[in-house]
Amino acid sequence: MRGLIEKDLRLTFSRRQTLMIFLVMAVIMGGTMDGSFLVGYLTMLGTIIAVGTISYDEFDNGFAFLMTLPFERKTYVGEKYLFCLFMEAVSWCAGVLIYCIGGLIRHSGVNPVSELPMLLSLIPVLFLSVSVFIPLLLKYGSEKSRVALFLVFGLMALLVFGTKQVMSGQEQVLQGLVETLDALPEALVFLVITAVCGLLSFLSYLCSVRIMEKKEF
Amino acid sequence: MVIVDNLVKTYGSFRLDLSMEISDGAVTGIVGKNGAGKTTFIKALLGLIRPDEGRITINGREASMLTGREKASIGAALSESGFSAYLRVKDVTAILSKMYPTFDEEYFRKNCRAQGLPEDKRISEFSTGMKAKLRVLSAISHRAELLVMDEPTAGLDVQARNDILDLLRQYLQENENCSVLITSHISSDLESLCDDIYLIHDGKILLHEDTDVLLGSYAVLKVSEEAYEKLDKSYILAGRKEAFGYTCLTREKQFYAENYPGMVIENGSVDDLILLMTGGH
Repeated sequence: MRGLIEKDLRLTFSRRQTLMIFLVMAVIMGGTMDGSFLVGYLTMLGTIIAVGTISYDEFDNGFAFLMTLPFERKTYVGEKYLFCLFMEAVSWCAGVLIYCIGGLIRHSGVNPVSELPMLLSLIPVLFLSVSVFIPLLLKYGSEKSRVALFLVFGLMALLVFGTKQVMSGQEQVLQGLVETLDALPEALVFLVITAVCGLLSFLSYLCSVRIMEKKEF
Repeated sequence: MVIVDNLVKTYGSFRLDLSMEISDGAVTGIVGKNGAGKTTFIKALLGLIRPDEGRITINGREASMLTGREKASIGAALSESGFSAYLRVKDVTAILSKMYPTFDEEYFRKNCRAQGLPEDKRISEFSTGMKAKLRVLSAISHRAELLVMDEPTAGLDVQARNDILDLLRQYLQENENCSVLITSHISSDLESLCDDIYLIHDGKILLHEDTDVLLGSYAVLKVSEEAYEKLDKSYILAGRKEAFGYTCLTREKQFYAENYPGMVIENGSVDDLILLMTGGH
């Protein structure tokens, strides 16, 4: 596991220029934009960079050699989820820091403590994207998974559209649901979101392990 | 060390079907033309593909079920796969030192320098020979008990080939108990390294012989058509029609030398074996 983390860190830092561009963009956004969009943006970028290490592993038939190294396939999968979570947490921290400093400079009255539950819930929610990306990348590879990802998001859009159609004329039900959720303590909402996302991520991990165990190189 | 028991792997019309054994401390070579099944076998041995039938065991453990700790005793160098091209030698050093408890960092660094592999250059900027050297050095720098080398010298110039073979010889001198499985279609590489050689063709073993016997007892006979008609063919393994007559492969060099004085008899080589056993009549 330590060797895999070392590899992924080094692969990530081999993209120094990309990382610097993202950071400069984040600083500019932090200095000019109100709202916490920046935190979500940076967290998502960190996640995408971390997931991208799978494409680096796969590049030039690299998986075959990688799988001869001393770890088991499920260790590889577990490390990917952990590495993505780590990168997500680091980029979230960077985002919050820039957001707070930007707020202080612009005197926009940023109160990170009151926004903390909302900001924190970005981590489990955005980790769901990792839970979609990793099994797709492992199953289809970086090229084919783009098509698969397009299909997944297409299905999600259809689901949202379908739900909207079904619920049309019943806006009061939705309104009631939103009001009920709004009335709940933020900490409880955060815990529920974390639990649900955690469960879905664990299911994704199990799928990824199964995909990897069956994969031939 | 390694037991391959009725391994079968099928890809479309290609079928790999073989059994073999690699003893402790033995250096075993596998030769065969491109597409003979060498790489498929290596992949099955390293657990990268699953056999359709049969099993491969390494020290009594199913090859595809090895734990990380057990895999640490194996060093592998594959022909078309290695560390990510985005990494540098210094990255590889750090990764290997965390991967293998027995990784000899000093040995690795020293040999990288000796082989002209710069620490700060990306692998993507390496020449074919440099990449091959890095693959071999990565495999031999953690005191592996089993080395698996798939075409380590393929596509290299003479100098790079010799450098890699010297590295392997030096490693074998220092680690006498290490077992090695090496595939190649360059016969001279194997003749100088291996204790025994398997010839595989179309997924099957055509021949298994000790290298000493192969080089000492095998011979190529070159005979005219007339002489071929009169030749005792009891000990002819394979033959091929040539412009001057026939080229024949035999395991009984002495028999033909004694009974057919004046016949052109050349010492056998692995190249002759490949050419005549896989392309002759």
